[in-house]
Amino acid sequence: MQCYIIVDRALAAGEQTDMPDPSSAPPAIEIRDLCVNRGGAAVLKTLQLTVNPGEVYALLGGNGAGKSTTLAVLMGFVRPVSGSARVTGLNTASEPEAVRRRIGYLPETVALYETLSAYENIAYFLGLSGVRPTRADMDAALDAAGLQTEARTRRTAGFSKGMRQKVAIAMALLREVPVLLLDEPTTGLDPVATADFNRLVGGLRARGAAILMVTHDLLGAADCADRIGVLARGGIVEEAPARDGLDLLALHRRFGEAAAG
Amino acid sequence: MSPVLRIATNELRVLARARVAQLAIALVVALSAVAALTAITQGQESQEIRSRFQAQADREFDGQPARHPHRMVHYGHFVFRPLPALAGFDPGVDAFTGSTLFLEGHRQNSANFGDVRQSSLLVRFGQLTPAFVIQALGPLVLIFLGFGAIARERDSGLLRLHFAQGVRAGQVVLGKAAALSVVAGLILAPALIALAWLTVFAGAVPAAALMLAAGYAAYLLVWVLATTSISALAPSSRTALASLVAAWALSAILAPRLATDIALLAAPQPTRLETDIAIQRDLKKIGDSHNPDDPYFTAFRASVLKTYGVARVEDLPVNYRGLIAMEGERLTSALFETYAERQFADQKRQSGLALALGGVSPTLAVRSLSMAASGTDLEGHRRFLRQAEAYRYAIVQRLNRLQAERLTYSDDSNRNSDPEAGRRVRIDPGAWRQTPDFVYRPASTAESLAASTPGLLLLGAWLALAGGLAWAASRRLERAGS
Repeated sequence: MQCYIIVDRALAAGEQTDMPDPSSAPPAIEIRDLCVNRGGAAVLKTLQLTVNPGEVYALLGGNGAGKSTTLAVLMGFVRPVSGSARVTGLNTASEPEAVRRRIGYLPETVALYETLSAYENIAYFLGLSGVRPTRADMDAALDAAGLQTEARTRRTAGFSKGMRQKVAIAMALLREVPVLLLDEPTTGLDPVATADFNRLVGGLRARGAAILMVTHDLLGAADCADRIGVLARGGIVEEAPARDGLDLLALHRRFGEAAAG
Repeated sequence: MSPVLRIATNELRVLARARVAQLAIALVVALSAVAALTAITQGQESQEIRSRFQAQADREFDGQPARHPHRMVHYGHFVFRPLPALAGFDPGVDAFTGSTLFLEGHRQNSANFGDVRQSSLLVRFGQLTPAFVIQALGPLVLIFLGFGAIARERDSGLLRLHFAQGVRAGQVVLGKAAALSVVAGLILAPALIALAWLTVFAGAVPAAALMLAAGYAAYLLVWVLATTSISALAPSSRTALASLVAAWALSAILAPRLATDIALLAAPQPTRLETDIAIQRDLKKIGDSHNPDDPYFTAFRASVLKTYGVARVEDLPVNYRGLIAMEGERLTSALFETYAERQFADQKRQSGLALALGGVSPTLAVRSLSMAASGTDLEGHRRFLRQAEAYRYAIVQRLNRLQAERLTYSDDSNRNSDPEAGRRVRIDPGAWRQTPDFVYRPASTAESLAASTPGLLLLGAWLALAGGLAWAASRRLERAGS
């Protein structure tokens, strides 16, 4: 877990990081009465959602429920008709660039420059956000993400989805962002890779990151999330803590009903 | 390093590692280099050939034996238009119009020996000159390498990853355009070297070379901005490619041909045959100097006799036949001049129309600037024709004057029946050597710059339009959020 050493070192040196203190900080993600239209139809109507630092929130929903739209609003790509979305207190509609600098985004399929190596991709994208990682920093983050050493200098053209995700997670670790948005992160991953990924998410949560994961994988969500919300009909129709004893079967049934109708 | 520079550097790195891009860049740079080299060597070679032939024609005229001056009027003289120093860069209309004229009395011949007329049909499809490579192939390579710069990254999700780092859409568009500008610079570099060489070693006017460099740089920049903007605006990389290739075909291939056809339709010119028939008809109207009852020449004779205060042409102190030849030449030349100027005016209207159509195609705008700055536009050809005609008139009238002043009317009238008279009407060959040689005066720097300015202004307008498109594309990309 050398990645944590990087962060700890920064904290020990008294350097400022974007990582908020979980006890005193405002909600990392705060969505109030969000209403969003896309293609002339209301996708989100009255969405309320809060994710605190050090918390993993799994947002479940069927196809077209508005999960990806929620992420697009949080990244400032989509402006709401009414209501607000805030990331670490910043309004996503009025300060999109500042918001994006505080967010690590992991799309369903991580796009990387295929003719560049993992190191080169990380250095390039982090350079765009003003971070200049050394090779040692990148190795620490890639170690934490679990990308094999021999793959790091290879062109990413042949990388699997899991390997790409590890590169993206390494970027998020190096950027030390307080908020992570994960879009269907475990879709298409085998069980071993999914377990690896969930372990990584747990590590990020331990660092105090607020993580919003949109998915339709209920079991995966129950495995790594603190709370699970079901998005349907433009809002959260059910929310439950993903603690031991959660009746997954009942939740799955209700999720199916909500998605259907 | 700023995000714009970082994006540009990365784009170049990605291009440099893509085999197809490597091949395309290598190919167009090689073509540009070969074209530049051809411009230098062929220009030199062609100029040497023209100079050699001009010297030979001058020698042959000067070396003619003692003759009747009117025989020399019909012996004629060849003049060659010296190749403008920048003609190798852009041959313009020279390949079609020809650059050699046969000058003789009573006639105004057209220029001959254009490359197109004396070469294979392939010449019509475009010579490998720097102008052709940059005007037609340069934009195609920029499109090929740049259509996916933004569109493909949006398709793959890389664009959103850029925005997720806090980068603005305008910075992405600028960065991608900057990278493509470097490719444009590589395409342009051999041509710039050729221009510098032609300026330093071949005597090209520096201002004209600078005008060409600025014009072509602006032209490629228009394509860079258009390619990047369309890549940002199109819904997919496939649509971007299709739109850009259509724009290229319209601008670089169709528009120049359509412009010519539209100009010909809007300002039609009579055919060569129609002009020749009209001239012959007008010549007949002027009169016949051999007809004793011709009213014009009867009046002319009366006027000459009155001027000299004599009653008969035999009593004139000069050879009346020479005077008749001078007057005849004056009249026919004035008629030729009228037709030539009418034709020049038609051509000027056509050129003006073709230039105005540069508003629909940047290729037309740069073509106009390129030919004007290289001295190979229609104006350059007209300049040669005018100077050659003035020279023709001067030497023919000089020979007619020799006939009038050095020959007697009696000898001239009896030269065919009296061998002695026939001998006396032959003038010493020294007179031919005293005939001045043809010296072509090319356009001055100011004239050359003035002729290039409309094209440059049009390109400036295109550049502003492309800049506006890039700005609009950035705004739309910003709003759309990838």
